[in-house]
Amino acid sequence: MTVPRQQQAGAGAETGSPLLEVTGLTKRFGGLVAVNSVSFSVGRSEVVGLIGPNGAGKSTIVKLIMGILRPDKGSIRFRGRELRGMAPWNIVNLGVAGTFQNTRPFRRLPIIANVMVPCLAPRARRRGEWVKRIEVKARDALEFAGISDLALEPAYQLSHGELKRLEIARAVATEPQLLILDEPFGGLNPSESDLLAKSIRRLHRGGRFGRLHSEGMAMIIIDHKLSYLLRIVDRVLVMNFGQIIASGTPDEVVLDSDVIEAYLGKEEMA
Amino acid sequence: MRRYLAYLWREFRGEILVLPGRTILFSATAILLILPLLYPHPYLLRILALTFIFAIFAASWDLLSGFVGQLNLGHAIFFGVAAYASAILNLRLGLPIIITIPVGAVAAVVAGLVVGIPCLRLKGQYLSLATLAFPVILMGLVFMFTEFTGGELGVSGLTRLAPTRLHEYYISAFVGVLSILAIWKITDSKLGLVLHAIREDEVAARASGINTSQYKLIAFCLSGLFAGIAGGLYAHFMRIAGPQSLSMLTSFQAIIWTIFGGIATIYGAVVGVFVLFPMLEVLRVAPEIRLLLYAAIIVLVLRFMPEGLAPWVVDRLERECPRCKEHNAFTRRECRVCGTPLRVPLQKTPVSGEHMSGGEGLSASQEGG
Repeated sequence: MTVPRQQQAGAGAETGSPLLEVTGLTKRFGGLVAVNSVSFSVGRSEVVGLIGPNGAGKSTIVKLIMGILRPDKGSIRFRGRELRGMAPWNIVNLGVAGTFQNTRPFRRLPIIANVMVPCLAPRARRRGEWVKRIEVKARDALEFAGISDLALEPAYQLSHGELKRLEIARAVATEPQLLILDEPFGGLNPSESDLLAKSIRRLHRGGRFGRLHSEGMAMIIIDHKLSYLLRIVDRVLVMNFGQIIASGTPDEVVLDSDVIEAYLGKEEMA
Repeated sequence: MRRYLAYLWREFRGEILVLPGRTILFSATAILLILPLLYPHPYLLRILALTFIFAIFAASWDLLSGFVGQLNLGHAIFFGVAAYASAILNLRLGLPIIITIPVGAVAAVVAGLVVGIPCLRLKGQYLSLATLAFPVILMGLVFMFTEFTGGELGVSGLTRLAPTRLHEYYISAFVGVLSILAIWKITDSKLGLVLHAIREDEVAARASGINTSQYKLIAFCLSGLFAGIAGGLYAHFMRIAGPQSLSMLTSFQAIIWTIFGGIATIYGAVVGVFVLFPMLEVLRVAPEIRLLLYAAIIVLVLRFMPEGLAPWVVDRLERECPRCKEHNAFTRRECRVCGTPLRVPLQKTPVSGEHMSGGEGLSASQEGG
């Protein structure tokens, strides 16, 4: 499942095609249409924000891309490959990693072991790496997320903000090309949020962090904290009732009348 | 030579004598391996050999159900398949033990696949109920093809494991110690880490790029392999493979032993067997209330040691260093690895985790990376 580096570089040359292309994606839960024929695309090393009121279908889209839910209709193409119907682990090993809105740590394992698990995935694992090396790499991921001094604590002892960081460390450990963050700022205090915003920008820039390296990740970020989100994204998609109602740069979207009515008008400006 | 011995002694002191738990385990193993030479009573040997065989069986259940969390209520299927396979190969084809037991174990691995593949889609209680069905199905087959399996009576008259009781004991003991060490090593490896992760949160393991189906099947096969070794040894030791090896009691015994000893630890399962199985024999002093006493002891132990017997004892004898998480003997004042004082009153709430890295304290490591 490991994708050779050369192939990644080669795919990068054809700049015309987007990294992720979602077309006509639909998901129903019983009578409720959670995602209604949504189409959008994410370019290489582009940071896209996905916003919308509660229940708009943002998290459902993330789960559909990550393969945790199966779409009813539509297609999800990542670097030209159809992700629909693929097992979640294969999607991760192609280079799409995501975090959960409700953090899901391996509760009784130490933090370092939590991050070693994705380091054992085929994508992250170079041939013949043994436990020591994987541990070093996991430590780099923790260092990046800023929780390396907690490496030996079991995950159930972490605070909410630390768990959010753990989620990011776990996603980064697979060295993805597309990182999907579902409410990374949720429940963080302002100083933690600033640090997180800084980390996200660094991930986007790319480069080496110890044994981890990235070529500038593309990202999809969902969040309600618009003040942080709008500062780090290149483009914003606004969802309501399972559909995308607006799309554009942060400045454009904030002024869009539909958006103000559907989202900002009700929640932020009231 | 003398230097080598000195090296061995240093290693022994540094690795085994430092921790009471390891010391106890080591001395118990040493006693079990030496005692029969000094006092080769056939009854004692029989009980101890069976204890070793069942220890493999319980540890294999712990590997699948304790570590991977796939609560298997029909573990006897692996035991029974291997017992019947060894018995039939031995009796019908006249193959020697050295072939029948490994082939029996391989048959149990195949049984692991047969059980594991349909169970991949099941979780929790549904998985347990499905596993419960497999030995019952096989039991039905055993009673259908009586001319081949002997039906109610089973396949009897197998070759003995070894010509004398003492040899039989040592074969069971060595295979037992090696198998248990192998299971322990598996749980301590990268594979073990993945198995832990699958138990803790399967969805998160998948989202970490782990092919959980593949690893669950591996766990089913490994568990089947070791249970199969136990089953083959048992068949040749008892010289019979009967339907009772597939019974629900066999499955539940493994569960009782493991939970009594301490689930998801491997050593707990082994301790459980070594305490409970001989105890059932000791309780023959009061034959009328033997099972009642047995049940009462289990209930009391689990009431006061909910984690199981072995982890409870280890908890009393060893103390975890708050900083480096290394275990230390309860007598030590500071950690043997990092020197942190151990006698500080333990905080019940995880205060260290809350404050050590709130927000600002982290900025250094953030910029640094």
